[in-house]
Amino acid sequence: MSLRKIIDWQIAAADGQLFGTIASPFYQYYDIAGQWTWACDVDIGKDEVLRNVPVATSSREIIYAQEGMPVALNQMGPNKYAITGLSKKVQSTTHIIYVSFDDAFGRIVNTVTKGFIYRPVTYGELGTLLHGFGYGSLPYGARGKFDMQGNLVELLRSY
Amino acid sequence: MREIPRSLQSLMTEKKRIPDYKVYAYKVSVDPFSKIIKGQEVCSPLDITDYCSEIGWSPVQLTFTLKDVEGGIFHPDSGMYKDYLADGCCIRLKEGDTRLPESQWVWTFTGSIKGQLGWIKTRKTRQTEAKVSVYARDNALAWKKRLMTTKEYSMGTDLGIMFGDIAFTMGLTEPEVRVPKTLGRNFYFKTNQIAQKAPWESLNTILETVMQVPFFDGEGKLACWSKNLNRESNLILPDFYQVHAVEVVSQTGDAYNKVRVVFLDANLSKVESPYQKLGQAEITTGFFTFEEKLPCYWSEDRKQRASGTTMKTIKGVNDNLIPVGTESYQENDLYHGTITVTISMWVPMLVALLLIGYVAATLVLPDKVVVGGAIISGGITIPVGRLAQAGFLAGIMIIMMCLGSAQYEIWGTPYDLVYLEKQTIAIVDGLNYWDENELKIENDFIGTHDWCDTIATTELCFQQSVSKPRRLIIDDYLGLEIGDIVQLPDGRKFFINDMKKNIKRGQTPVLDISGFKVLTY
Repeated sequence: MSLRKIIDWQIAAADGQLFGTIASPFYQYYDIAGQWTWACDVDIGKDEVLRNVPVATSSREIIYAQEGMPVALNQMGPNKYAITGLSKKVQSTTHIIYVSFDDAFGRIVNTVTKGFIYRPVTYGELGTLLHGFGYGSLPYGARGKFDMQGNLVELLRSY
Repeated sequence: MREIPRSLQSLMTEKKRIPDYKVYAYKVSVDPFSKIIKGQEVCSPLDITDYCSEIGWSPVQLTFTLKDVEGGIFHPDSGMYKDYLADGCCIRLKEGDTRLPESQWVWTFTGSIKGQLGWIKTRKTRQTEAKVSVYARDNALAWKKRLMTTKEYSMGTDLGIMFGDIAFTMGLTEPEVRVPKTLGRNFYFKTNQIAQKAPWESLNTILETVMQVPFFDGEGKLACWSKNLNRESNLILPDFYQVHAVEVVSQTGDAYNKVRVVFLDANLSKVESPYQKLGQAEITTGFFTFEEKLPCYWSEDRKQRASGTTMKTIKGVNDNLIPVGTESYQENDLYHGTITVTISMWVPMLVALLLIGYVAATLVLPDKVVVGGAIISGGITIPVGRLAQAGFLAGIMIIMMCLGSAQYEIWGTPYDLVYLEKQTIAIVDGLNYWDENELKIENDFIGTHDWCDTIATTELCFQQSVSKPRRLIIDDYLGLEIGDIVQLPDGRKFFINDMKKNIKRGQTPVLDISGFKVLTY
């Protein structure tokens, strides 16, 4: 790797802005001294969700944002991010193309589509999503996180 | 692949070449690059070939030693020809064959001098010489550092139009651009601009969408080479062509085995929030208010959009003793709705009648007096007229009590429209997470997932090829450029990443090609 590449990585790292979607209701996050701030979990499209992400001061509109809303995060420290505002973009679908290479040729082995959709649970799903509970266990207006195949990943808690 | 005259081509591939070259210096203060490249220069160039030695050539740099045998003609301050070798002056190299006229030769380098010439006069050897380094046209701060913002382009415009405009803004003329005017890809966003990017980076961004990379060719023209390795070889070396060495170069760095291409979908998509209370309203009605309309916005700033809104009645106008009216709600637009409370016609009519009756009872009905008593004369008065008045008043008051305030809540699903960030990841099959080495490409001009897939797969194939570096040393072939694919007689293909050669009078230069093995998919 060249010095230029390393510098580029450092620049990209210093830029320190992420985008994600709110993945939990807002809650009060306490430090050891008992001081608290508003925080929530943020889905940044990776396998792991960022936990306890605090909301930057004077970001009242974010406090009233709901799960599934896109937000912008800025880096506070090497491994710490804060929600600084609402975002105008949200992560959507990802195509993953697996390519196998031999000595001279590459061959596409598999193609997978990944991604999540946040949407209200449909009228039909209200009665079928929770097995064994039937219609009525979920309130009208409940929302869920679904994968690209339409399978429920999780129900969001703010319904 | 550089176009070369057929006569020169046949000499290079069929006979032993008798190479020849010329080095020319131009006064850019008199003739700009555009005129020089078009061959329309006003001031004749200075032929410095006889002074040049130790010529080192690569597509991006030309170096040579200028023997100042006449003792100071190239001195940067006082030399007779100092204006030909000053900062920014154009130097061009033309190569060909002695048996052909110069018009049949090709330009293999066009560049400019940066800064001041290095000139030295040594007492001991009595030699006067200058070391000259000439750089390709893109090696300039104007291309690489200065930031620019383009004008806006509408949806459907070909990306090549923006490419051409940037090139022209940078002073190039149409004959100086070898890239096609249309690239076959269109803008998908309604408005498209490049903001605060260096011109060279902007050109790269545009060409990235068609898997091309810009460069300035030997003639000084803006050209591009393709990262798509699924193409025919540019040159198939004939059996007898002199190949001096084929080297498999050691590769120590980590190769990219994962390519992530990210783009924004041009269409805005709806992101809904949970179903929730959007606002509330309170209405106070009166006797003669037949209809009360109250606009209700979803947010204080009146910017929040919502869908599927409904009204919940917390306390209605009919919640009291007598139903006095109707209440309804209508969604007007994306931002607000209207609550309408209508009081029934009988209410004001009845109130009016009761008032009339009340007054009439006062004026018309006499008060009857009932006198009674056993021992002392006296008694009580029962005012019959007042009884009638009381009846009317009670009616009015009941209606008054039924009319009053009502409270409503508007519920719905607020939403906003955002851009979807989509991506394609092309990855080598069977990789462990800890083995991944990712290259990320972000380009907002990519319009569809299929388009993005093509770029990601092509880039991964290219990066995998880059990880198999090769070195090929052959007799010089003047038509080769960066990005070309050379094929050996046995079928092996080499992608040219860089080239260099030393040019000496009377010798066929040996071309040292750095590149990599071509993988296709």
